[in-house]
Amino acid sequence: MSGQPTRSVAGQPPAIRDRKAIGQRLRPRQFGAVNWIGVSSLTRRQLRNGLADYHYQVLGPVVSSLLYLAVFHLALSTMQSGGSGDMLHFIAPGLIIYAACEKAYESSAATLILDKHERVIVDMLMAPLTALERTVAYAVGASGSGLSVGLAVALATLLFAPLHPTNIAALVYFAAAGTIMHGLIGALVGIWAQKWDQYAVIHTFLLLPLSFLSGVFYRVDSLPPIAQQLIGFNPIFYVIDGFRWGVSGVSIGRPLTAGGIVLMVDLFLFLSVYLCFRRGYRLKP
Amino acid sequence: MQNPSPIATTVPTSTLPQPPRPALSAASATSLGPRHYVAVNWIGLWTLYAKEVRRFLTVGTQTVLAPMVTTLLFLAIFVLALGHRVDQVGGQSYMQFLVPGLIMMAMTQNAFANTSSSLLIAKVQGNIVDLLMPPLSPVEQTIGVAGGGLTRGLVVGVATALGMWAFAPLQIAHPLLAVFFAVMACLLLSLVGMLAGIWAVKFDHMAAVTNFIITPLSFLSGTFYSTERLAPIWKTVAHLNPFFYMIDGFRYAFIDHADGSVVTGAILLGTCNLCLLLLVHRCFASGYKLKA
Repeated sequence: MSGQPTRSVAGQPPAIRDRKAIGQRLRPRQFGAVNWIGVSSLTRRQLRNGLADYHYQVLGPVVSSLLYLAVFHLALSTMQSGGSGDMLHFIAPGLIIYAACEKAYESSAATLILDKHERVIVDMLMAPLTALERTVAYAVGASGSGLSVGLAVALATLLFAPLHPTNIAALVYFAAAGTIMHGLIGALVGIWAQKWDQYAVIHTFLLLPLSFLSGVFYRVDSLPPIAQQLIGFNPIFYVIDGFRWGVSGVSIGRPLTAGGIVLMVDLFLFLSVYLCFRRGYRLKP
Repeated sequence: MQNPSPIATTVPTSTLPQPPRPALSAASATSLGPRHYVAVNWIGLWTLYAKEVRRFLTVGTQTVLAPMVTTLLFLAIFVLALGHRVDQVGGQSYMQFLVPGLIMMAMTQNAFANTSSSLLIAKVQGNIVDLLMPPLSPVEQTIGVAGGGLTRGLVVGVATALGMWAFAPLQIAHPLLAVFFAVMACLLLSLVGMLAGIWAVKFDHMAAVTNFIITPLSFLSGTFYSTERLAPIWKTVAHLNPFFYMIDGFRYAFIDHADGSVVTGAILLGTCNLCLLLLVHRCFASGYKLKA
């Protein structure tokens, strides 16, 4: 009985006469080191927010990814003599991970800003959750939404560009690490931003250029050396490169290095979000 | 009318600045009367237009700078990904082929975004009455709101063109034709945006229209590729898309090479604009989804 919130079922009202039972039922819920129910509630809430209106929150990214694919295919097949096959194989993994990461960023940032605007952020702050549990819930919820969108995009692209994953473990690792990275960036932006403009500015002027210019659509090693060195400082490049290695076996950097860098960036972001939640930066008065 | 001020009894009058007494002259009587105007309420029309323009200029980072940066990103991506693989198109390099289409894409998407979001936000927030209540005729309402979208499209177009100028040499073969196609295209998308804004009830509806209609039509219009070498059936389909004529005509004005017929495009765009103007006017006149 303990641990479960009581709920009166129709036709079976709680036994009022049994005073001992009531005392037990109304007692505050006891939990050990981790409030598992709380973490899973917040995670599920994040997931639900991100995927509730699936016909535009999931279908939207699917349609735009297919459009990119179509445009590249048409441009290649009409404007040059060779085919477009190998190019589509190169672009498709980039599009999948890009769509997943974008969704993860949007998921955590948008819910935090919306909650702040509608003053329901207290529901998250008042709940008996530690800062660590909140950080985990936001990271996992965002990653889950992102991965769902990524899966939908992957299924749609499969119709046009058959992919044969070479390394499932690497694929899953980079997809998870990339979406967690973007989910945590989204959490930081959501905590910091007061207005929707700030959310959009980070997306348009920082994340979009960083992803688009680091190899979603073209081979980075065809760039001049100075640009290649600059891209080496961009963590999103390693996410895309590693994921593409998992899907097609092609990579520009060393996959192991990419995995390590992505992990470090994730840990650093996790720590930052954790500290923000613990201090209540821009969340608590 | 004896109306002694209550303040005068408690405070020495010498310390207060004297308010101007309302003189019962002919001048003040006319200034307080209803304003008279003849056929067109020029002040009202200008006010509505200025409001629409200020609405996007106050968030210029989002409405002008952001599309410019995104369009430059597209240019970079396509040139880097395809530039070295693509042959010459109509005697021009791929970049020169791409630039006019990209500018046109930015203009049309922003013209649409301006009018559609203006009407939808006003409806959601309930301040659409501020547009419906003033003494503006449906014609003035249509022109005022559409003018705002047209202006946003052109401002974004100029900003994007300037941004691209830094990377790609821009040569305009027929400047007047470029202006004509830019105005026609922005007006068309402003009017479509107004129809969408009038029809939509929730932001989801607008997201659906943008994601599933406007973006696909503008992406598959021949911005990034030449329709000349498509299979015949797809070529016909591509030529049914009004976006194709906007981009093709605009590109012709830049590089003096068109895939389709520029005259057909101009006539088609003109006809579409006329029909849409009448339709939007009809919506404002009847109050479809606007008035209870």
